[in-house]
Amino acid sequence: MSQLYDLRVRIEEKIKADNLNAMDVKGKLGLRSGKLLALIMPSTADDPEVIEKLKAAAKEILNLSL
Amino acid sequence: MKWHSIRTKVLAALLACLLLGVGGILALMHYSCERNSRIMANESVSGAEKLFGILEAREISKMKAVSEVLLADPEVRDAFVAKDRTRLNGLAAALYPELKKEGITNWMFHTPEPNMAVFLRVHNPGKFDDHLNRYIDAEVARTHGIVTGNELAKAGFAARVIRPFHDSKGGVTGYVEFGEELGQFMHAMKKRTGDDYALLLSKQFVDRQFWADSSAVWKRRDNWNDHAGFVVADKTTDSERIIQFDGELTSVPEDGKVLERYRSGNAVFVRGIFPIHDAAGKAVGAMFVVRDISSFYLAMKRTERTLILVTVAALAIGIAVVLTLLTSLIFRRLDHIIGVATRVVGGDYESEIQVSSDDEVGQFERLFEQFRRVFLDVLTHVPELQERR
Repeated sequence: MSQLYDLRVRIEEKIKADNLNAMDVKGKLGLRSGKLLALIMPSTADDPEVIEKLKAAAKEILNLSL
Repeated sequence: MKWHSIRTKVLAALLACLLLGVGGILALMHYSCERNSRIMANESVSGAEKLFGILEAREISKMKAVSEVLLADPEVRDAFVAKDRTRLNGLAAALYPELKKEGITNWMFHTPEPNMAVFLRVHNPGKFDDHLNRYIDAEVARTHGIVTGNELAKAGFAARVIRPFHDSKGGVTGYVEFGEELGQFMHAMKKRTGDDYALLLSKQFVDRQFWADSSAVWKRRDNWNDHAGFVVADKTTDSERIIQFDGELTSVPEDGKVLERYRSGNAVFVRGIFPIHDAAGKAVGAMFVVRDISSFYLAMKRTERTLILVTVAALAIGIAVVLTLLTSLIFRRLDHIIGVATRVVGGDYESEIQVSSDDEVGQFERLFEQFRRVFLDVLTHVPELQERR
């Protein structure tokens, strides 16, 4: 399982735990990181740049340190 | 507040317009107030000068008529021809109180040239045989006609009429003179206009002893030493402010001059000056005029305040209307597009952008909706997504 997919899972757990609007939050994260979360699969290859962007977006939008 | 947002920039621009508008109105009102005050001050000076001229002409005309009637009185004529001072004074003294009521304060008989002395002062019978040596004395002796004008004598600065007195054979037996104190004119002018006046005489044209004598005759304080360059002949107010003047009285322009606008308590005044000429045409003094412009000035200030309030209210309403229009026509619709775009990226493929108008933003909405559909079509062909479905 890639690191990217792991980030996606943890983000979805956070959204569910905080009972947030999933489409809105995922949309913002996708736009901020430049990657559609729906396209991140266990087999998706890790891209360090995308990983950093997604972590920064998660911190900013969800206050989630990944 | 987001400083980079269009809403903030538009609001800042509108507030700048508001400030400019209020500033412009303030400047305009200030200019208008100053200009109208100046016009009013100029009018008060020129009006006072005209009124003074009218009164002077009217009174001189009256004194001419009185002298005409006197010349036709054989008893007066005979007494003057006979140089019978007691009889002449008896006849004149009976008339003098009536003339005085009409403003004629000075009445003199003069002997003919070359001696030309005062034969009788009806207003001051105990003083006679003195020589006045004034311009009008020389002029009437030269022309043997009526001479009029303002002239200083021991009884004060007055508008005067002097004319030859003829005996039954037509020869000049002397001269008769009537005069009205110019101070009286000021009080008449004040009654008509409500303005205050002060009559000043340049010391270079007034003899010190002359002034002391006239002060004694009129039982007024000798004010010679009150001011350096001039003496105050009369004034209609107790205020000293009216006669504050640093220049030379003889250099006052012919059309008069506005000196200042000033406040005293809640009242606002304008002060001006115009020259007074003697019979020879020399500017020997000046008259100050003070007009109360409080009602005009306060009305202008009220208008200024009202205009500012109206402008602020109008611009505030304008700002509210513009911001409301911007919000409903642009910002809210852009927020909608951003929201839909975000949700689509988040996986909500059902949200659509509603095209609400055919305006510029509407065209963008339509374009974005078309773009959204293309984007969804692309997504349907992504293998990862197909697997999850």
